[in-house]
Amino acid sequence: MSTQGTTSRLHSGPGLPADVLAELRGFVGDQHVLVHDGDVEPFSRDATPLFRARPDAVVLPATTAEVSAILALATRRGIPVTPRGAGSNLAAATIPEHGGIVLVLTRMNRVLEVSQGELLAVVQAGTTTATLADAAAAKGLLYAPDPGSRTVSTVAGNVAMCAGGLRGLKYGVTRNYVLGLEVVLPTGEVMRTGGRLWKDVAGYDLTRLLTGSEGTLAVITEITVGLLPMPATSSTGVAYFDNLSDAGRAVAQIIAQGTLPATLEFLDNRCVNAVEDYAQLGLDRQAGALLLFGDDGGPDVVAASLQRMADVCTDIGARGVTLAQDIAGSEALLYARRCSLPALARLAPITMLEDVTVPRPKLAEMVDTIDAITAKHDVTCATFGHAGDGNLHPTVVFDPGDGDARHRAEAAFDEIFHAAMALGGTITGEHGVGAAKRPWLAARLGPDQLALLKRIKTAFDPAGILNPGKLGS
Amino acid sequence: MTDRDIFDKDLLAACISCGFCLPACPTYAMTQDERSSPRGRITLMRALETGRLDEDDPTLQEQSSFCLGCRACETVCPAGVQYGALLEQWRDHQWRGRHVPPAALALRTGMRAKPLIEAAGRIRGAAKPTGPARPDVEAHLMLGCAERAMFPQLSKAVLRLLPDAVDVPSGQGCCGALHAHNGDSRTAHRMAEELGEVMPGVILTTAGGCGAHVAQVLGRERVRELSEFLLQYWGEHPDRLPDLRRLTVDGRPVRAALQDSCHLRNGLHVTAEPRELIARVADYVELPSAGTCCGAAGTYSILRPEDSQRVLDIHLDEIEAADLDYLIVVNMPCQRQMINGLKRRGSKVRVLHLAELLASAL
Repeated sequence: MSTQGTTSRLHSGPGLPADVLAELRGFVGDQHVLVHDGDVEPFSRDATPLFRARPDAVVLPATTAEVSAILALATRRGIPVTPRGAGSNLAAATIPEHGGIVLVLTRMNRVLEVSQGELLAVVQAGTTTATLADAAAAKGLLYAPDPGSRTVSTVAGNVAMCAGGLRGLKYGVTRNYVLGLEVVLPTGEVMRTGGRLWKDVAGYDLTRLLTGSEGTLAVITEITVGLLPMPATSSTGVAYFDNLSDAGRAVAQIIAQGTLPATLEFLDNRCVNAVEDYAQLGLDRQAGALLLFGDDGGPDVVAASLQRMADVCTDIGARGVTLAQDIAGSEALLYARRCSLPALARLAPITMLEDVTVPRPKLAEMVDTIDAITAKHDVTCATFGHAGDGNLHPTVVFDPGDGDARHRAEAAFDEIFHAAMALGGTITGEHGVGAAKRPWLAARLGPDQLALLKRIKTAFDPAGILNPGKLGS
Repeated sequence: MTDRDIFDKDLLAACISCGFCLPACPTYAMTQDERSSPRGRITLMRALETGRLDEDDPTLQEQSSFCLGCRACETVCPAGVQYGALLEQWRDHQWRGRHVPPAALALRTGMRAKPLIEAAGRIRGAAKPTGPARPDVEAHLMLGCAERAMFPQLSKAVLRLLPDAVDVPSGQGCCGALHAHNGDSRTAHRMAEELGEVMPGVILTTAGGCGAHVAQVLGRERVRELSEFLLQYWGEHPDRLPDLRRLTVDGRPVRAALQDSCHLRNGLHVTAEPRELIARVADYVELPSAGTCCGAAGTYSILRPEDSQRVLDIHLDEIEAADLDYLIVVNMPCQRQMINGLKRRGSKVRVLHLAELLASAL
């Protein structure tokens, strides 16, 4: 990754100046400023394979005021700051490529409020997604976004990356639930955007701009999210098809007839077989595609919705359709989807989980294209994903000791990203751009939009200290 | 940089760094700090393996010892990382020379003295060894090392529950679990093998930590923990199932909760069996943190008493809130930890091993 634009004026070299470290220690206490090699090493990577960069220091603030003091100092002295939550992102968004400070928000992890009357919750940045969802559920409310990393990931991390999840089609993604933010600008100002209102059009929608800004514009310290009443029940069914085209037609038909299912997930044949090898669930190994469909709501509505979807699958010519009889049955069916990653991750040491997204009607075509590209490059790949969102997770596994396996995988992904864009899709649906997808961002946005991103970046971050090298840097 | 062969290459390569282990880790829960998470520690192990960091790095020393070794991370790991094995390899290398915690060295040396352990068992009145292993029994009862000296009543309770089904072979030493967890897995391996020679066939243990270690060395099929053995044996021999009465205090049913043994749960994957047995004689109460480490962690409570206490406090709060009569344990170090912790708080809750609980219902 090249150093470019505003980042070239940043502090570089081994370690931070002694007076800067002394100030940082004054802000947060000695034990929350880490500088020794072993102390900072664990913060040199996140969940993205093959990306690693050791920071000069790791700082763990406990309050918004501390974050403000740290950022003002960093801007004054030109020190890169990379915000980090739990480090579960898959786009190398928290890798400190330019060194400097990794700013870890996990100590700020309190749920401040869950309001049944207002249908909202207020949490600190480092609260995990599951903690928020559990706190909401305890009051009969649903926090709808459910990224796969929900037990690990922080809410601020979800907002910074605009995390998605399995319920995207019916419920949307993180951005649809962020009502307000407390953020600290790189220059130190503490600011609240949005608030507790579902309706509020005063000013540019900075809340949405900051959602998905990947820690390049401001540091998120507190989040107000919207909640929904918890659906009374949910259920799931599974259908097997000869090929992905049939599954794709079933998805289109389900939506065309007016059903907006809570779950619409698919596994391709390779993924079905990997899961079956791993968990022996009795899946149909010959099927070209497995489609999981489900809905939530009142019992009658759910039953009718499931039956409609099952009928569509049967009409399309599914090899087999099964509806869960109870909650346990639903869990058993969903388990096939849940163990996709475990099953694939066990095949080889490196697991590259990507997330290109295409318009829903192009889903089957995209999977065929992925198969052709990975075959051409002799790469082991299986694909699963969110059929309702056109969001695919082609997952490549390889052994780094296997000659040029890494280069073949990277070459395959380069072609996959361009193929997705050619179909009207995007390079990432829900994982983010980070450092991992930055080389393809220009192709996705075009020069004018990329230039606008850079101007926005400069407006927020004149010294270019926040997560340099990412998005609009 | 070339690898230093400190770790099994394949085991170390298996981690995909997804971070799913973070919420399962008791030390991460305490600190919210990546350094004290399983993923963070594996990143440190990898730096040690490739030479980016060396064993003199204070973070390596601190994190190798701060880890409880509870293996809760293994149960949530999508990639199937064998963290417990990696930790043993790390400590084998890290805890050498001046880096050995003195208490670990003392414990390792002490528990190799078989005659001393046997004498302690005799003096304290643990179950009497019955001579060489008999071929006609269902299993051989393992006496343990510290268990024999500190809780001699456990082996006797087992014999009351299983008359004629088991013998108590003479010549048993320590199984070596303590050594495996304290930086000497080579000795640990040899000690488990020696134990296996004294007790050919199925070994019955009352300690989850010992059981997981012996199973790792001798094979899972050679080891039965008490609860799984009782259910299996009584299932196959209904005539041997004793009449267990329901226990009462002040005329009402006893309320009893289980504290899992980490290595029984995460290593041997036994969770339902002790709960089922408790429910046969008492009203079973599931504590929210029953499945997470109590801080005993083998010898951790001796090596790091303050951190051990912090982990324990969460459990003590829950126990006090649950209005219990008995807390049931299935591992000796947990028993010691819980007795001491509840005593310090002046709690009236009694700590019993599952063997004692069931024997009291005969």
